[in-house]
Amino acid sequence: MDWECCWSRDEITPDGCPYVGEGEEDLYSSHRRRIVEKCVECPRFKNDLARMKGAGNPLTEVLPYILTEFQEQKAQMGAMLSFLNSKTREIKFLREVGLVLQTSMDLDEVLSVAMTAITAGKGFGMNRAFLLMTDKERRNIRGYLGVGPKDYEEAWRTWEDIGRSNFTLKELAKNFQKTKLNSEKVKFHDILGQLSVPLADQGHIFNRALRGKKPILVENALNNPDLDRGLARILGVDCFLVMPLISRNRRIGVIIADNCITHKPITLQDMQSLETFAFPVAFALERASLYERLQEEVDKQKSANLKLREQQELIVKMEKMALVGKITSSIAHSIRNPLMVIGGFARTLLRGTPESDDKRSYLESIVRETRQLEDVLSEVLDYSESLFPVMDLWDINELLGNALAELAATLEQAGVACLKELSPELPMVRIDYKQISYCVKTVISTGLSVMAQGGELRVESLLDGDGVLLRISDSGTSLSKKAQEALTAPFYQTQEMGAGVGLSLCKTILERQGDSLSIVSRPGGGNTYNIRLLTRKENI
Amino acid sequence: MTKLLVVDDEANIRLLYAQELSDEGYEVVTAASALEAVERLEGSSFDLVVLDIKLRNESGIELLQRIVKERHALPVILCTAFSCYKDDFSAWLADGYVVKSSDMQELKDEIRRVLAKKQKAAAPTAG
Repeated sequence: MDWECCWSRDEITPDGCPYVGEGEEDLYSSHRRRIVEKCVECPRFKNDLARMKGAGNPLTEVLPYILTEFQEQKAQMGAMLSFLNSKTREIKFLREVGLVLQTSMDLDEVLSVAMTAITAGKGFGMNRAFLLMTDKERRNIRGYLGVGPKDYEEAWRTWEDIGRSNFTLKELAKNFQKTKLNSEKVKFHDILGQLSVPLADQGHIFNRALRGKKPILVENALNNPDLDRGLARILGVDCFLVMPLISRNRRIGVIIADNCITHKPITLQDMQSLETFAFPVAFALERASLYERLQEEVDKQKSANLKLREQQELIVKMEKMALVGKITSSIAHSIRNPLMVIGGFARTLLRGTPESDDKRSYLESIVRETRQLEDVLSEVLDYSESLFPVMDLWDINELLGNALAELAATLEQAGVACLKELSPELPMVRIDYKQISYCVKTVISTGLSVMAQGGELRVESLLDGDGVLLRISDSGTSLSKKAQEALTAPFYQTQEMGAGVGLSLCKTILERQGDSLSIVSRPGGGNTYNIRLLTRKENI
Repeated sequence: MTKLLVVDDEANIRLLYAQELSDEGYEVVTAASALEAVERLEGSSFDLVVLDIKLRNESGIELLQRIVKERHALPVILCTAFSCYKDDFSAWLADGYVVKSSDMQELKDEIRRVLAKKQKAAAPTAG
């Protein structure tokens, strides 16, 4: 029989089948593949089948069943193949991203890779993504970074650029970090600023996604009364995906992804792929954040060590100064006293010697030479003193710590517990260490004197405008007005305080350096002594 | 007559002070140690004390503190061989300070200044 379709022929010429397209020329000689790929769906083959049926061929009754089954199987195979292809691409992509995420400690690099992966066509191909991160205090989720085009024009330009380039995802991310990261942080500033949500707001979609550890796909948000329309309005889209970022049960943040330009629906498959991707991203973000914090701590530690070394050097210098002071004082005494006696008596003798006496010139020489020696001695002593300036920059917390350590045994003996609240943010203050240390110890001793039955001593340091405030509070008997007058009057005697020079001297010392001392007594008991040290002392 | 107490552990210096200050018209009593100075202060009334900051085996500062505490109306001038007095801020309690010198003029001027200040403080205020 002369068949309309080419199914019965082993080999055909190009005009033998109109359905064989360009690039499929091998089908002309491949009989089996031509039947499977072309003939089963060819209308001419269907016509031949109808003719066969008319001729009474019994196979024509079953052949349509076989063909239908074959076509269904083929369609399923095609779908599976497409699924496999997409999964293969996903695995390849995840591997590429994973490699960076597993090794990078740089928060900006992790962000760039993650956000590029979500928005690049070679990745998940979403139009836009926002990253929100939990703040350091773990109180709020805050908008951190937005990536994607702002409008059609920018989208078209960006996609065209990316389409022309042959970059891998890693290269795209690197390029993004280098050229766009900083501008992207600013670009969506208005939206990011509105995305801050307290972690305690249990009903908010971000917290619901974090609590459920599952992504939430929001569709038709503007017309859905069950959803937060505010968020849709901020984003300007009514379909978006909220992806929680959780690492080891810690809430790292949330990614919001949408197709604000193409308005392509977000499929279940998109959601699943992004979910697979969210875990390594969350882990990498947590690790990079921790590393960043660790670096901050290391830097703090380094600066504390540096400070400590400087303080140690200063202490050594002070010790040297004390030693030099002792030596020079001893030399001064050993030399100046005899000089004074020699020169002094020579002057006395000179006054009683008549102008005509020859011995007068000898006495004048003794007076002159003694004076010269005294001047040389003063010069040497002044120089030795100038080698070690008394005023220097000191860490006040260190000074308080040292003073308390010196008084630790006394405090314990008196049954007084010491509570320290020292601000870590204090600047160095130019002081005479010895004098201020004396003032602090004197104030603490005064506090102790009103806590005969023991009590609590609170020592605080804080920044106070252009100064540093040292607040020392006792829990003892309140000082009367009369007792407080002991501050300004040396040896003022009261029944409570006895007599002493301590606080009066402290006040004098502090005021000479431009600082101050004040005392406040609480009616119910306890006194607070405020030592205020100026941080700038150019003229003192 | 204005009566001064001079405290110094060096006999020659005590002698020198006594001569020079007597010539200025003061009545001068000397003491070689802090203990002796306290005895003199208890036994008599003085207008001013000239005190060496460094006494043998004793601190002139301690004596200064005791004088200020027990007789805070009595002015004290500290004499020292070296200006390191600043290290011990209790020295600020003194009314005057001079570095020891063979030329006693500075001490004499300082005595006059401190006595004049004391006199002014003691005089009843006008008006």
